[in-house]
Amino acid sequence: MSSVLSIGALLVFPGGLSLLVGGLLYEWFDRKLLALLQNRVGPRWFQPFADTLKLLMKEEVVPDGVNRVLFQGLPLIALAGALTAGLYVPLAGLKPAYGFPGDLIVVLYLLSLLTVCLGLAGANTLDRFSLIGATRTLTQVFSYEAPFLLALLGPALAAGSWQIGKIADYAGSHWMIVFQPLGFLVALIGLMGKLEMPPFDAPEAHTEIVAGALTEYSGRGLALFRLGKAVELVIGVTLVSAIYLGGLSNPLWFLGKTLGLLLVMVGLQSLLTRLRIDQTVGMWWRYGTLLVLVQWLVVILVMR
Amino acid sequence: MNKFGTMFSDVSVSLFRRPATQRYPFVRTETPARLRGRLEWKQGPCTGCGLCAMDCPAKAIEVTMIDRKEKKFFLTYHVDACTFCGQCVISCRQGALQMAEGQWELASLDPAQFKIYFGDPNVGRNLASQPDGQPAEPEKT
Amino acid sequence: MAETNVTPKRFTIPIGPQHPALKEPGHFQFTVDGEIVTGAYVRLGYAHRGIEKAAEERNWIQNLYLLERVCGICSHVHALAYCLAVEKLANVEAPPRAQAIRVLVAELERIHSHFLWMGVSAHEAGFDTLFMYSWRDRETVMDLLEGLTGNRVNYSANQLGGVKCDVDAAQADSIRKGLEFLEERTHHYLNVISHDTSFLQRTRGIGVMTRAQAEVMGAIGPTARASNVARDLRVEAPYAAYKTFPVKVVLDERGDLEARFEVRIKELFESFRLIREILEALPEGELVARMPRRIPAGEAIMRLEAPRGEVFYYIRSGGGDKPERLKVRTPTICNLTSVVRLAVGHQLADVPMILAGIDPCFSCNDRMVQVTAADNGSEKLMTWEELRKYGIDFYRRQAK
Repeated sequence: MSSVLSIGALLVFPGGLSLLVGGLLYEWFDRKLLALLQNRVGPRWFQPFADTLKLLMKEEVVPDGVNRVLFQGLPLIALAGALTAGLYVPLAGLKPAYGFPGDLIVVLYLLSLLTVCLGLAGANTLDRFSLIGATRTLTQVFSYEAPFLLALLGPALAAGSWQIGKIADYAGSHWMIVFQPLGFLVALIGLMGKLEMPPFDAPEAHTEIVAGALTEYSGRGLALFRLGKAVELVIGVTLVSAIYLGGLSNPLWFLGKTLGLLLVMVGLQSLLTRLRIDQTVGMWWRYGTLLVLVQWLVVILVMR
Repeated sequence: MNKFGTMFSDVSVSLFRRPATQRYPFVRTETPARLRGRLEWKQGPCTGCGLCAMDCPAKAIEVTMIDRKEKKFFLTYHVDACTFCGQCVISCRQGALQMAEGQWELASLDPAQFKIYFGDPNVGRNLASQPDGQPAEPEKT
Repeated sequence: MAETNVTPKRFTIPIGPQHPALKEPGHFQFTVDGEIVTGAYVRLGYAHRGIEKAAEERNWIQNLYLLERVCGICSHVHALAYCLAVEKLANVEAPPRAQAIRVLVAELERIHSHFLWMGVSAHEAGFDTLFMYSWRDRETVMDLLEGLTGNRVNYSANQLGGVKCDVDAAQADSIRKGLEFLEERTHHYLNVISHDTSFLQRTRGIGVMTRAQAEVMGAIGPTARASNVARDLRVEAPYAAYKTFPVKVVLDERGDLEARFEVRIKELFESFRLIREILEALPEGELVARMPRRIPAGEAIMRLEAPRGEVFYYIRSGGGDKPERLKVRTPTICNLTSVVRLAVGHQLADVPMILAGIDPCFSCNDRMVQVTAADNGSEKLMTWEELRKYGIDFYRRQAK
């Protein structure tokens, strides 16, 4: 019986299916909201589903000069990484399906796996736009990853545990956004960087390098990468809102919080101009890291 | 003074406003009175002089003269070639042509829709039904 | 074309002929060292349409509409340049009311073009919100043009010897109302482009062209005016009704992208003022002067200030009902050299912005292409028969 339940957990909730559907719905919310903010109509709710379906049904062109195994395997690894991360985060405000001390770090690295796969996928092809895109993707990883990680570790420090479930429990009684506002700011903007949302979309700036690392991808590979991004969006938003916005709660209220978070992110997207890659790096190391270190200092001093 | 988010006023207002996009097939806006639509022809004043065809930059008008003395002629208007510049309306000294207001939804899957005959419809139709579409002895101007 | 330091061993990024940054085909090759551009090369000719040759086959009236289609955005300016040149040849002067309406439409077109440009450039910089809003507001001026002339893009407001459309009181009112809205929005956009920190990061100090450089490279239009070169044909050689309705030249000395934004947006205010003045003091009278069908033999040159810079027309008539030769030079060709020069040393990310900064329009400037053979660099010209044979052989080889 319990094995049936765990398979169900893996395939339907909180794993697989619900993550994919949720991811695409969040992606729709992101796109629709951005459209409304720009006084446009925006897509209908099933647009991301239709896009994914269309891509899955299309022929996958494998360009000359690539390693076939890598070319087709990387999207799978990326999506698998993102889906695995879903098992350790409190989706819909419920207790995470699995958990162990230190799973916060594992989740963050599983999410980075997607970005690294993206970079490798770009570097795998001979296309010049892909190469530049891959370089930018990996450069950007190194800029936001550390501050983002530190920003999420701030609450962990306060909670005295590096297990997401425990941090969320602790956060249920302490709204971390109040206690660690700087950390929240860095986490929020770091999440935008992680998701390559504007203004951090230099790795896929289409007016410069077409589609960046994904330029050569079509059909299934592109669909899987896009799904991976969508799943990453859900997990990222869930993680930040569980850690900073009051931990676990009932699903409806939690949904409200994540959508609120997304609204802020979309608002920032609409108000900012794309940063050049050197500006992104400069910003993160100059301000992001500094802010989060100040936050850490405060946390440590207060805890003493 | 430089600041972040100078477009915040637009963005925040738009969140509570309907999109500016025109929902065209569902909601139709009124076209301006001067909009140049499909060409319209008046039988009475037209003398078949062919100035319109001569000046048409897209060669969208053909004048087929059957009998000059009897004033038997007809015009073929190729809607698909027309660029709606309105030069024929100006070139016509008799004022027999005008661009119809509001006649702008002209897309069609049927090529026959793009050929409009001005003049004696029977003459036009008879010719069109002939296999080569050419009158027996046309005198083109 | 223009070329600086192209070494084939370096890593080159091709931009175009098909690239999302370019809405028209043009080919740019940027040699990069990491993200820094070290060399640039441009090749044009992908959108050569043979308009000049085609003009020799059409009569004077038909040519008006052909030339209006040289450029999709500054269509009125091309038609106007042609009309003025032909009128000069025929020794006919269009009535003052017609001239005023021509200027009115030209200025409305300038507003439409600058709004469009602002959106495109913002999009290149990744500031899509500005792009969406400026294009939304551009609809207002498009609607005004549609109401006034009957078409949104190729207005066909001109005819040889005058204009087709009149401005009545109701028209004038709707234009004034539209301008009020646009002026308010333009003030807002001026604030955005000159004060938004994140946007200024991408424009301030980028692509700086000094006044000396601008003069050497022959930059024209707003691109030159942003480098403090006071070059505006509406002032230097007033045509149509610009004599009676003078314009003030907008200048900026900084020469970077920000200056190009500011110059163009400040020009909008001049346009608003000019249109209002024209509506106030529209001369009474006829709309058309009588034009002969055959234009007397002779040559004429016409220079006009299009939204992007100087448009140049040369027309030779042999006395028949068709021109013997017609030559068009559009502003983009003059400004492109500056892009190739300015891009070097900048980040790759800035290149689309620098390119957009001159408001390029490729299909307008493609006139003639001389293709050099890739293998030996010879400039052999092919006859039509040879070309046909070459084409058949080429595809036969491809099929194998």
